Amino acid sequence: MKLLVTGASGFLGQYVVVEALRRGHQVRAVVRPSGDVTRYSWHDHPAVEFARVDLRRRDGLADAVQGVDAVIHLAAAKAGDFYTQFAGTVMATENLLDAMIERNVLRLVAISTFSVYDYVSMPNGTLVTENAPIESHPLERDEYAQTKLLQEQLVRDFEKTHNASVTVIRPGMVYGRDYLWNACLGAELTDTLWLRIGARATMPMTYVENCAEAIVLAVEKDAAIAQILNVVDDNLPTQRDFAKKLLKQMTVPAKLIPVNWTLMNSFTWVLLYYNRIFLKGKAKFPGIFVPAKLQARFKPLQYTNAHAKAVLEWTPKYSLDEAFERSNSNLDLLTVTPQDSPVPV
Amino acid sequence: MATALKAAVIGTGVISKEHLSFLNTSERSQLVAVCDLSKVSAQYAAQRYQAQATFADYRQMLNEVKPDVVHILTPPHTHKWIAKDCLEAGAHVICEKPITPTYEEFKELWAIAQSCDRYLIEDHNYRYNEPILAIEKLVADGTLGDVQEVEVRMALNIRSGGAFADENIPNPVHKLPAGVIHDVITHLVYLTLRFLPVEFDRISAAWSNHGGGTLFKYDDLDAVLVGGAKHARIRFSAHTLPECFDVIVRGSRGYAQTDLFQPYLRCVVPRKAGKQLSPLVNHYINGSDLVKASIGNFSRKIMQRTPYEGLQRLLDITYAALQSGNPPPITFEDMDRTSRLVEALLAEDNRV
Repeated sequence: MKLLVTGASGFLGQYVVVEALRRGHQVRAVVRPSGDVTRYSWHDHPAVEFARVDLRRRDGLADAVQGVDAVIHLAAAKAGDFYTQFAGTVMATENLLDAMIERNVLRLVAISTFSVYDYVSMPNGTLVTENAPIESHPLERDEYAQTKLLQEQLVRDFEKTHNASVTVIRPGMVYGRDYLWNACLGAELTDTLWLRIGARATMPMTYVENCAEAIVLAVEKDAAIAQILNVVDDNLPTQRDFAKKLLKQMTVPAKLIPVNWTLMNSFTWVLLYYNRIFLKGKAKFPGIFVPAKLQARFKPLQYTNAHAKAVLEWTPKYSLDEAFERSNSNLDLLTVTPQDSPVPV
Repeated sequence: MATALKAAVIGTGVISKEHLSFLNTSERSQLVAVCDLSKVSAQYAAQRYQAQATFADYRQMLNEVKPDVVHILTPPHTHKWIAKDCLEAGAHVICEKPITPTYEEFKELWAIAQSCDRYLIEDHNYRYNEPILAIEKLVADGTLGDVQEVEVRMALNIRSGGAFADENIPNPVHKLPAGVIHDVITHLVYLTLRFLPVEFDRISAAWSNHGGGTLFKYDDLDAVLVGGAKHARIRFSAHTLPECFDVIVRGSRGYAQTDLFQPYLRCVVPRKAGKQLSPLVNHYINGSDLVKASIGNFSRKIMQRTPYEGLQRLLDITYAALQSGNPPPITFEDMDRTSRLVEALLAEDNRV
């Protein structure tokens, strides 16, 4: 297939491009105009071409979409204020979908996030499936969750209005080389001093190579059309397990300040009611002191990849131990030679 | 309470939050429409701030909802033609700064406003921040004496990230005569003129691009202005930290100083304790005020009170004036002098 991959220069995007090439697809990788493509080891692969456009602007987008069989939409803004993230995630998606409509490209694999779920409404221990409730009070969540919710709504409207073939992938926490720390552990106060909030909660992790494979499978499988797929790995670690793995690979292990989850959660509720009653709800506290934001990161829940495995006929290739080994190895994880790839289909 | 004015907003970018939150809560206004080329952006703003309708075409909006007041929050190079259409459609215009890229265009726009019998108002929001109002009071009651010098200094870390440093979508303000400094120079100039409303006969402006490259036209301004015996310094820096917006007003009796980003008020004047003890009393009082300001600023951060507090106050006064048929607080003279001084700072003859 000929695939347009947005966010191709991002952490997950690069692995998706490489996986698509390994599986014999042609890739048109969307990179920003000022990006240096030669830093990607796959930049001169014969099945790769680049579309140098910025999704926040409509210019050149229709041409970028022209002639592709499907779009894998990974581009999103993960940092900055609300309006920066709105432009990089929501307006970017609006522009992309308009271009797809204009050029009649109606197959889309949209990458969403676990952040869209409504964690406050789920009791401890709930199994989070694709049918879990979607956040109904977005203003109580961070900018990333707010903008990803709006993005998913745009995708849903596109699917409905244009009878498009859409798959929504909701990855858990994507980790891999250079991205091993995860916000579900706590807070990095300094490089060597961490706050760990909770210990026994399961972390919805997905190793980047596993996740990339699931995404490319989703574009290949007709069974994935009109599906929402939660993507996490098998045998998910607890916070304690993951922190141990992280500490083990550090030359100077960080010191952990453990904070009890129940205590922290209770404290955020006290603050919430204090804010509502005495401060008219006008106060804005740091994220870990807001129930909806705290619970989205640390609540003890259970996760499943059963639906994704069944629909995609997929099994995450790498375990947690293997993922850490690969991440800390000298292997070039992003190399794909033309000989590795079958003839593009 | 008089009838609420029908308000519409064109442009739903980052500054719209400040205008829309006022329009959403004020009893003086009724938010009838928001307009943006991005449909999803207009829809979000409408939902978040309870606007009655959304539009992608502002002319259609003007025809259909016939607003009493339009807030123009689009990039500066678009202001003139949008404002013209709004004024001719019978709406008063509140426009983000700079109202136009050049003084000539401002005069043309003002003439249109006059011919349409509508008000044209540029956003001079920092004039209504609490510390500026407090310094105005110190000037008015004679505490500072006769104002002799004003220094306005802004430092913004615009070179190492953010919208202005984005090479993928160069911000339209780069194309303004003063480049990105044009985005803030209105503030620096109207605050200078607020305390020194004089004609400056000697201006020396050093415009520099210390960071180099082709994206930025200038990233530094150091200007000295002299009008008779009055002196002013207008300074913009992209290379000094922390970010600040300092205003110092020096009079014949003493001086007052603030930072609008981290508000405090330092006032050094003769105290009742006498000439010998006044320095000690000033240190004690200002030290105490600084401690109180640090606590106050922590509270401001938690309570989401931003340096845009003056905008809410300005809009409230403006709407009250428009409701009662009185002239708005930002006058023609305010805007005319500001626009003219910006032009003078850019004039080739005044460059060093």
